[in-house]
Amino acid sequence: MRVIAMVPKTKDAELDDFGRFSEPALLILVSLAEGPRHGYSITEDIEAIAGVRLGPGTLYGALARLESRGLIEPLKSEDRRNPYRLTALGERALRSRLNSMMTVARTGHRRLASA
Amino acid sequence: MTWLLQLYPARWRERYGEEFRAVLAGQRASLSLFFDVLGGAVDAHLHPQILRSRAKPIKGDDRMTLAMLQRCAAGGAKLSSDDRRIASRVTIFSALAIAVLYMVLTKIYREAPPVQALIYASAPALSIVYAQTAYLRRRSWRTQAFILGGGLSGMYLFMLAVCVIAKRL
Repeated sequence: MRVIAMVPKTKDAELDDFGRFSEPALLILVSLAEGPRHGYSITEDIEAIAGVRLGPGTLYGALARLESRGLIEPLKSEDRRNPYRLTALGERALRSRLNSMMTVARTGHRRLASA
Repeated sequence: MTWLLQLYPARWRERYGEEFRAVLAGQRASLSLFFDVLGGAVDAHLHPQILRSRAKPIKGDDRMTLAMLQRCAAGGAKLSSDDRRIASRVTIFSALAIAVLYMVLTKIYREAPPVQALIYASAPALSIVYAQTAYLRRRSWRTQAFILGGGLSGMYLFMLAVCVIAKRL
């Protein structure tokens, strides 16, 4: 998981300033890439895809940061569970970060294969 | 464990309280969950600017958050010369008070761990005092007491534990 923070900065490096919330924020963006979800559903989804269960303190610290940067936005809901969705900016930031991670992963695999 | 929600700033609770409570209710109580929520509360107090202002009219305590937001909008919080001057004076006074206290306690108790812990904790404690005075001067007394009291007590207890363990080794 730590490698996420070491990925080279890109021009869409919105997640770089999130400090300890950058990894949870990335996982939240990945979770929301499938469609709008509320907090509890995000936690469940992240546990399923990454094996990490985010505590509510971490989850809402990251959600608040993502929302303040305009990477996600809340949807209106009658329920007390507010769903969130990815914005266009969030989608671009996620795509950019995943591409950077893919470059690092490809390079790592190539070097391991030639070692 | 939902009582921990009270440690979050009022504006934060107003924005995320309900959904936070729903997520918290779905988790099994544990020590790591306790520290996660506690850490989130400290973070919410230290970074009020992460709350995006909404269409609601701004009043009362919210004005303070907005002022912090504006001050943090570019390149982090900017302190006025007044903020810096007051924070420096409080820090210097605190340093002198700690020095005198340390000398008196050393005279009485010599090198007892609680006295040692006091001097080891003093340097980080002074930076906490400076930050608290400079950045949180206009925040509510409850927020200031929470951050300053928690920070100083935590720092002292940590150093005390280190000194006690070191003495027993």
